[in-house]
Amino acid sequence: MLDAKGLMVFYENMLALNNVNILCKENQIVGVFGANSAGKSTLMYTLSGIMEDIKKKEEMAGGERITVSGKIQYKGIDITKLRPSERARRGLILCPERRRIFKESSVLENLRIGGYLASPAQANKTLDYVFKLFPALVKLKKRVGGFLSGGEQQMLAIGRALMAQPKLLLLDEPLLGLSPLMQAILIRATKVIRDEQQISILVTEQYARPVLPIVDHAFILENGAAVMEGSRDELLNNPDVRGAYFGV
Amino acid sequence: MEILIYGTINSIALALMALGFALVYGISRIPNFAHGAIYVVAGFITWTFLKVVGLGYFLSALIAILVTGILGALIYRFMLIRVRGMAISEIIASYAIGLAILEGLRWGGFKGMTYTLPVFIAGSVTLGGVPVDIHRLLLIGIGVAVIALLWLFTHYTRIGLALRGMAQDERAALMLGIDSDRMALLATAFGSMLAGLAAIVLLPLGNIVVEAGYNVLILAIAVCIVGGLGSWMGAVLAAFLIGFAQILTVVYLGSHYQMVVALLAIIFTLIMRPSGLFGRQKELEERV
Repeated sequence: MLDAKGLMVFYENMLALNNVNILCKENQIVGVFGANSAGKSTLMYTLSGIMEDIKKKEEMAGGERITVSGKIQYKGIDITKLRPSERARRGLILCPERRRIFKESSVLENLRIGGYLASPAQANKTLDYVFKLFPALVKLKKRVGGFLSGGEQQMLAIGRALMAQPKLLLLDEPLLGLSPLMQAILIRATKVIRDEQQISILVTEQYARPVLPIVDHAFILENGAAVMEGSRDELLNNPDVRGAYFGV
Repeated sequence: MEILIYGTINSIALALMALGFALVYGISRIPNFAHGAIYVVAGFITWTFLKVVGLGYFLSALIAILVTGILGALIYRFMLIRVRGMAISEIIASYAIGLAILEGLRWGGFKGMTYTLPVFIAGSVTLGGVPVDIHRLLLIGIGVAVIALLWLFTHYTRIGLALRGMAQDERAALMLGIDSDRMALLATAFGSMLAGLAAIVLLPLGNIVVEAGYNVLILAIAVCIVGGLGSWMGAVLAAFLIGFAQILTVVYLGSHYQMVVALLAIIFTLIMRPSGLFGRQKELEERV
């Protein structure tokens, strides 16, 4: 599905991603774990192409010089040079860190905006699916996005990303700052999305513990480098991983 | 009664002038200082097709609106796109384009009192003892229709919703496949078409003169600053505020002071509430 090789990202002279290889097979849930500033969001921005936009804006504002290299293959084609909107059109959708929902629009409107790439029939079908997946959103339909709780916003953000008809969903820290109960709901929903919609998912998190039970494969990032990878069981049984990412 | 009727007419006129500017700024964050020039261009195009080519009024107006839309798109595609994100350059570039167009028209001989558009329907009626000409009543109808259509467009169509998403968070919209450059181009085209429409509705009430471009720009900026830059409904409400304030000034102080109202409104808003009456976004951001 997605095969990224030798990704390097520099912010000026600071190395944010160092020769990272990420592989996500069809219908897999792949985890990327790492501490703050390990490069998780940089990786997500690079894969989704948003980095191109960040780079352009920084150039415009005379800010940091960002350099990206490496190769990203998605569904067998090279998308390294494709614009973010082109990648989204092909089903590579990012659900960003801190959710970034449209705060002045209602829940329903947020979802409708998310359906920009979908046909009207697809949009209606996905809308029903999102409300089935997150029944809590049904009675919040009319509420303005800015007045939702963190958990509700995250459900909305995932729902909105689903509206864009992803084939590969990039979930950037979906559990950030949420209660254990809400984390459990979101983790269950992530698995359901993969199982029912056949959407492959790449998910990043700081702590591996809540996410590890549903991933097929995972990578561990440290200071911008992928220091370890393996299947769920391999990582579960690795003492280093247990110490560093489970807080055992 | 007089104040009510003429206040409403004046307010709707201001809203028409400002909506295009507000739309472009709200979506692409570009303050389109060429707005006034586009307004005047629409007037001269309509005049040309009506008086020189001899097409019907409706057809001429339609052509003018289409041409201004294309003009807006071209201005974005070939000039503004390169400076988008650099606030000062956006202002300088768009203002320079506006100046070039307006002064170019003046140089080309489009000046003086000879250029006028006829009213849509001549005649007048008496409302509550106040004589009002039918064109001004039509203006209210068209203004209300434009505001309603714009609202429906931005709330119920795919493109309209995408534009509103982009207005709120451009990068989040980009993640959903909404191409920001394409949307900004569309927004500039729509905004220019609104300027064109405003010109066609408002210019029959006076002469088509180059100076109108500067006045419209100042009024549009005043309305948008008072309403809160980027807020479309804020712009409409601010248009009513300034519109009625102007008419009250005309009635009680004299028409000489009319323009001062808009300028004072800019200054007072910037001192007392810099984000405008409806700088709502900030409050929400603080909450979350």
